[in-house]
Amino acid sequence: MTLDSPTRINPMIRHRASHIGRAVPRREDRSSLLGRQRYIADLKLPGMLEVAFVRSPEAHARIVSIDTAPALALPGVHAVFTGADLADVGLFPHKILYIQPVSQPALAVDRVRFVGSAYAAVVATDRYVAEDAATLVAAHTEFEPLPAVADLDQALAADAPRLYDDWPDNYLVNFPAEKPEVTQAFEEADHTFSDTYVSQRQTGLPLECRGVLADVHDGYFTVWSSTQSPHIVRTTIAEMTGIPEPKIRVIAPAMGGGFGTKTHIYPEDVVVPWIAGKLGRPARWLEDRFENLVSAVHARDQRHDVDVAYDDDGTIRAIRCKAYCDVGSGEIFMPGTATVFVTGGVLTGAYDFPNMEVHHFCVVTNKTPSGAYRGFGSPEGLFVMERIIDRVARLTGTDRVEIRRRMILQEDQMPYVMHGGGRVDSGSHSKGFERAVEIIGESLERVRARYADDLDVRVGVGFTNYVEPTAPTYHLTTGFWAGGDSATIRVDPDGSARVGLGTTALGQGTETTAAQLVADSLGLDPDDVTVIMGDTDRAPYGLGAWGSRSAIVMSGSILMAADRLITKARNIAAHLLEAAAEDVVLSDGNFHVSGSDAPTVSWSQVATSAWVRTLDLPSGMEPGLEMSGYFNPPELEHLPDMSGKVNAAASWSNGAHAGVVSVRVSTGEVKLEDYVVVHDCGTMINPMIIDGQVHGGVAQGIAGAMYEHFQYDSETARPLFASFMEYLYPTCSEVPAMTVEHFETPSPEQPLGVKGCGEGGTIGPAAVVAGAVDDALADLGVEIKATPVTPSAIREAIREATAGGGER
Amino acid sequence: MKPAPFDYYRPATVEDALAALGTSETAKVLAGGQSLIPAMNFRLSQPDLLVDIGGVEGFDRMEVGPSGVMIGASVTQSRVMASDEVANAVPGLRRALHHVAHLQIRNRGTICGSIAHADPAAELPALAIACGATLFLQGPAGERTVDAGDFFLGPFWTDLGEGEIITGVHFPSEPADTVTFLDELAWRSGDFAITGLAGALATRGGSVSGARMVSFGVSGAPGRMTGAEQAVLGFSAGDDGSAVYGAAYEDGADAVDDVHATAEYRREALGALAVRSVRAALSTNGNGTGV
Repeated sequence: MTLDSPTRINPMIRHRASHIGRAVPRREDRSSLLGRQRYIADLKLPGMLEVAFVRSPEAHARIVSIDTAPALALPGVHAVFTGADLADVGLFPHKILYIQPVSQPALAVDRVRFVGSAYAAVVATDRYVAEDAATLVAAHTEFEPLPAVADLDQALAADAPRLYDDWPDNYLVNFPAEKPEVTQAFEEADHTFSDTYVSQRQTGLPLECRGVLADVHDGYFTVWSSTQSPHIVRTTIAEMTGIPEPKIRVIAPAMGGGFGTKTHIYPEDVVVPWIAGKLGRPARWLEDRFENLVSAVHARDQRHDVDVAYDDDGTIRAIRCKAYCDVGSGEIFMPGTATVFVTGGVLTGAYDFPNMEVHHFCVVTNKTPSGAYRGFGSPEGLFVMERIIDRVARLTGTDRVEIRRRMILQEDQMPYVMHGGGRVDSGSHSKGFERAVEIIGESLERVRARYADDLDVRVGVGFTNYVEPTAPTYHLTTGFWAGGDSATIRVDPDGSARVGLGTTALGQGTETTAAQLVADSLGLDPDDVTVIMGDTDRAPYGLGAWGSRSAIVMSGSILMAADRLITKARNIAAHLLEAAAEDVVLSDGNFHVSGSDAPTVSWSQVATSAWVRTLDLPSGMEPGLEMSGYFNPPELEHLPDMSGKVNAAASWSNGAHAGVVSVRVSTGEVKLEDYVVVHDCGTMINPMIIDGQVHGGVAQGIAGAMYEHFQYDSETARPLFASFMEYLYPTCSEVPAMTVEHFETPSPEQPLGVKGCGEGGTIGPAAVVAGAVDDALADLGVEIKATPVTPSAIREAIREATAGGGER
Repeated sequence: MKPAPFDYYRPATVEDALAALGTSETAKVLAGGQSLIPAMNFRLSQPDLLVDIGGVEGFDRMEVGPSGVMIGASVTQSRVMASDEVANAVPGLRRALHHVAHLQIRNRGTICGSIAHADPAAELPALAIACGATLFLQGPAGERTVDAGDFFLGPFWTDLGEGEIITGVHFPSEPADTVTFLDELAWRSGDFAITGLAGALATRGGSVSGARMVSFGVSGAPGRMTGAEQAVLGFSAGDDGSAVYGAAYEDGADAVDDVHATAEYRREALGALAVRSVRAALSTNGNGTGV
């Protein structure tokens, strides 16, 4: 426990009405809905030039030569830079010592390892000319193609071409494992089976693509970047360029989503400021959708080879899982290595299942580097676990709900330490599942009745129970940063408060929830709170928004800063009231002596004394009314212990998902008819915002379950996608109305009992849809083993299951 | 994602449009632009001149007569869809247009533009064949007409000659004994078809007496399903459909694999679509005539 971090609102505040827990309308919505947000594409500076990047059309090649002269000759072109021109820029950091080092320059030099890799930058008066010139650079680049590696099997073959000549193979991470108790369980169990499960390659797909604008004045760099982590961008730019950190200001303006993809530090974050410095003019790059699809990080793309030991009564004795993640070329900071460890850690979901042996592998291929996406390894893990449970249920004739009931975590097991060290402090795992089963049962009957007369349509139901790691450590991901965050609160002479936060807003409503937290912590109204985020000059150092961390780290740091502020304000108010500080309380924004309504001293009077009429302060008191707090979540661990276990998340939310599908046997058409989420993220700061997080998360989970899929040519490793013609995301027509209910089991260990809620919605749908399609087609013997579950895949599964006339 | 440089010209007469097209080998006709502009932004298409026919006199005509519906080159899909007169004369048009993209796209996209673009997965080329539509073309050598059935040669490839444009398309009135239909499978609402089928079915005494069936999205161009057209003759509501399924499956022999579906899937889907759309057409009260 951090020494002085309060876990609840200061008891001297007497609220008439608390703002925490209420569906306060989002203050962000008005300008978003009216089109008045200012994104990077809306920003223009005098003399601003536009940058276009030249990207590799080859999956794996040596760059023999680049002739920039024809591009430079084009009217309107100011400069063309290749990787060699950036010799004064260092490599991207490598800070995780147990993985193979990827030496990544800001722009590819000599060699490209994926289609979309940026190897030159063109600067011109506008984007049209810049793209004309980029086309010319591409036409005058000579590549010498190298053998390409398109998938895991190719990468791991004995004679595989290597992406990095100084590596012994293509393993970025190679962590086999062995647990004697698992080996023993396999010897003792009644039966075993082996299987392979696959989660396809996807991306976070923010509505707003990336973008960077940079301006240099008097050696002082201002960089607008559509990033989830502006301070980390600043630290990385400083490290790579040698520019002193205080001379760099990074601003993350209004953002149209990030979903993890904007946690990474990309080449453009470094190259665009470097260009602005080199040319002495503002320079801007706006990522287009094609670039976003090939050069923003991909995710998922995991294969799991599992062995399962089970008994006749449906007891699963042990699971051995070889988890492989195809991380693409690996050329990204932070590296995409952490997700597979999360997959391994959360694979057992909300089930009491210690006998788990996970081998972790990250493998490089000639594809877009992979990294973070909402869920961060969890959907892949849950898919495997629920597939195994459903298969054991089928093999042993056990009811699929009953088998889960036997395994699910119970309240009296809390705190429960998972096989990988994750420490679940509380939750509603069992009762949440029972509630989901109850609701979906009614839905199932309705849907069955709807299709009762259509012999071509089968109906099925699927389930999953997950735990959602929140506010995780960043140390295992970056090898550098840890996991806390900061808040600075100032009360101004007019009595309103300003809070600067190290976390950021990317559309998730943080400005609203932060204002609710500050309002309750200082006895103010949320309208009296201004929230500052995403600006390294105006907000304190922090790690940004990712990993469902903001609720916990904001709550902790705001409570710390507010408590310190209250202590000082109380002393000032007591002095003004001529009372003893311990007798002073705060009701509805006014300080007064406990037990008497008058006289009162307002926040404005206190702040005016602190900043303006400092002569009114108690003798010897330092003026000012601004305090900071840096919160390190209790129980969060940053390094594994000797056995490899680590509680890498501050808290663990939980939920049960269930869904009903209809499947048309003749065409494989599958429709998600109904979806239920019973959710628990501890204390709810704003239930409306939490519902929105669940809805959006489920939509992205459905994207993974049924639609989105990056496919590559198996020989050339070239992408078979260039636009939304090939990469299909679900629209509002494809996402069903869903039922969302909440239990509220406060964390006993985190401030205010909050846990975090950003990713749970995304975790469930792949497991649910696969389970439901299996159930619908059970009499045909269909077993879904990979996502996305498309009509074509369903027909293929039906053909395989019924081949040779065999219904099983 | 910006287009290569190009010139833009908006003529007022068809003669001026043809003259402008004659000045450049890479010139393109711009109608609704719903396929052309994205292709230009990807630089897959790099015309040096766009001839916008939106202002050409007479191209906005939409006339319903005893023989059918004449639709000019700049008439949008939304306008056709909104016309009750058109829907009465050729009910299949409105039905088919429900499957074409989304409202915003239909507000710009034209009937003739979609036909000229000849996307193998587009609905309107297949519908034009199924309806026995006639295309009116004009070029340097003068005017001519082509049956829709002879117009589509391959992916994005038609019988249009150098410098020639579609000035209009004529959809014949649906005969009293005929039902025109279009059904398709797409993974999302509004997408191009993974597998689609347009058809016109004549019925007599509760069974099929004549059929024109056209697949789309299955192979490189919309194509007549000659096997299914034979197999469906005499089909009535009680039939099990296996013969139609089998024939349609064989009609899909040149189906293609892509990221969305396998060729085998497309053949199965074509079989299933054929059976279900013929059944639906038989049970439809069609053109108010009963079946």
